[in-house]
Amino acid sequence: MIKIDKVIKNYQNGETEVKALRGVSLEIQKGEFTSIAGPSGSGKTTLLNLIGCIDKLDLGEISIKGEKVSSMNKKEKTSFRRQNLGFIFQTYNLIPVLSAYENVAFVLSLLDVSEKDVHTRTMNVLKEVGLEGMEDRKPAKLSGGQQQRVAIARALVKDPEIVLADEPTANLDSTTGEDILKLMKSMNEKLGTTFIFSTHDPMVMDYAGRIVLLHDGLIKSDKNRR
Amino acid sequence: MSFRIAKTAFKNISRNMRRSILSGTAIAVASMSIVALFALIGGMSQDMKNNLRNFYTGDVRVRNKDYEEYERFNPVHLTVNINKAGEAISKIDGIESWVPRVSFPSSIYIDGSTFSAIGTGVDLERERNYFDLDSIVVAGRLPERGKKEMIMGAVLARNLHLELGDKITFQTMTADRSTNAITLKITGLAAFPVASLNSKYFWMPLDRAQDFLNMPGEAQEILVKTSHNIKPLLAAEKLSAALSSSGTELEVKQLEDISMMFGLIRMAETVYNIIGIFFFLLGSTVIINTTMMVIFERMREIGTLSALGMHGRELVKLFLLEGTFISAIGAAVGVAAGILLVAYLSKTGIDFTDAMSGMEFEMSSILYPKLNAGKTIFVYFYAVAIACLATLIPSRKASKIQPVEALRYI
Repeated sequence: MIKIDKVIKNYQNGETEVKALRGVSLEIQKGEFTSIAGPSGSGKTTLLNLIGCIDKLDLGEISIKGEKVSSMNKKEKTSFRRQNLGFIFQTYNLIPVLSAYENVAFVLSLLDVSEKDVHTRTMNVLKEVGLEGMEDRKPAKLSGGQQQRVAIARALVKDPEIVLADEPTANLDSTTGEDILKLMKSMNEKLGTTFIFSTHDPMVMDYAGRIVLLHDGLIKSDKNRR
Repeated sequence: MSFRIAKTAFKNISRNMRRSILSGTAIAVASMSIVALFALIGGMSQDMKNNLRNFYTGDVRVRNKDYEEYERFNPVHLTVNINKAGEAISKIDGIESWVPRVSFPSSIYIDGSTFSAIGTGVDLERERNYFDLDSIVVAGRLPERGKKEMIMGAVLARNLHLELGDKITFQTMTADRSTNAITLKITGLAAFPVASLNSKYFWMPLDRAQDFLNMPGEAQEILVKTSHNIKPLLAAEKLSAALSSSGTELEVKQLEDISMMFGLIRMAETVYNIIGIFFFLLGSTVIINTTMMVIFERMREIGTLSALGMHGRELVKLFLLEGTFISAIGAAVGVAAGILLVAYLSKTGIDFTDAMSGMEFEMSSILYPKLNAGKTIFVYFYAVAIACLATLIPSRKASKIQPVEALRYI
């Protein structure tokens, strides 16, 4: 489903050139629950950004569902993300003026979905993530865990084949973090959605079906734990 | 889709209400000022036109063809025959009313001192049809036909320490270039809208003026008012042709060709339009600044929306709509405030008496702003359009930001 071939990514940090990825090759199959693990600066977020088509690589190739996303232009990448990818961010990144319902529904409104379907699907996914009855609450009125649940609902509402999560539990306490991982896992099993998430937390890695360990921009190990 | 973007944009206004209010206020103040300014100019223009029509030129003025050339010498003898001109005027469709007038400079002797004043002989019946003659009377009454009476400008009377009932002797040069004098009784005091008329003029019955000046059946000029269904220029052309065909060679001119001030007012309108543009541009800088700050503050959100699949043009729409809503509300408030201000000032008037004292100006010393619906609507849409354009610049910049860069923003 996802094919990453000899990807190299460097970026400038002031006057220093950082070699974020130094020839990473990887294949991820549909329905996998994969953790990209590694210490800070190992390149896990960069890899996630490249898979998520929000960053440009320097060399190599990335294909998703048979499409060479690495050679797409900005507009094509945006359209691809809109149709196929869901994102969960470490800091939730919800729109503060919109309610939980509106945050989720907003994603559907970017697609050609009727208002009736928007409502049905939004309510269903909010129920799935355990936010029934909290649809009208603004992010400020929700706890960190609840906000991340809204973010998960937002990522899943359009039925994407791939959900990318950058350190989804880093801002949560361990109990809430575990709840979020259980939720992601259950969605992965129930919907068959491919989850790829970055982490450096061993507890989070425990939930992963596959752990890709990065170190200094290279894959150090790739373990399938099923 | 568009509806949800619009809804989000509208909700975004409340994120930093104080800043949104500040931006809206800038647009509101600009809109209000321009509405008031346009209304003032409109009022000035209308006022000047009314004064010119009522007291100086009419819509069309008929005079002896040589009068203008010798005007500085007070050519009382260069006259227009009222009956002949009246016949020609009656043949033109769309003439509302007309009045013959005779103006003459005169000297007044009071207690051994000499003063000057300008007399005007008027046909009181025709004047009543021509404009609201009774509105100028502030004390006493109008003079009566055939009697040696006059109504004097209130300021002139005050300057000469004259009162109702006083009798004054005027001396002037007649149409046959001899000297004559007449004693008139002050029956009324007039408040003409124009300051110079108040301080220099007195009006007397036309028949007495004609006797006094030895010009029976003649007038110096005939002022003609046209109705709305005929343009003054066309009326002037038709009247000129009618007079020519009756063998009378007279000068026939329309208002706009006579008064230089009218052209100046037109020019002032253009200047104020340009000032208006600058006002809005100034207001728009606040909008630009606000939008830039908003974009800077919401950089991560732009990254998030972009990651979720929002295209650049949709991001532009989001920020553009936000700016549009603020400017639409600000302009609506400003235009409404401008309308209220103009409505109030159009009742109370703005007193320019001190500022205009000593000025030879065909404008009233108290001006009443006049709202123009078309221009007011224009101001609203113009304000919104300029503010939208101002928002477009930073919005387009936001749409070009790479999502990964935006997401890294702290």
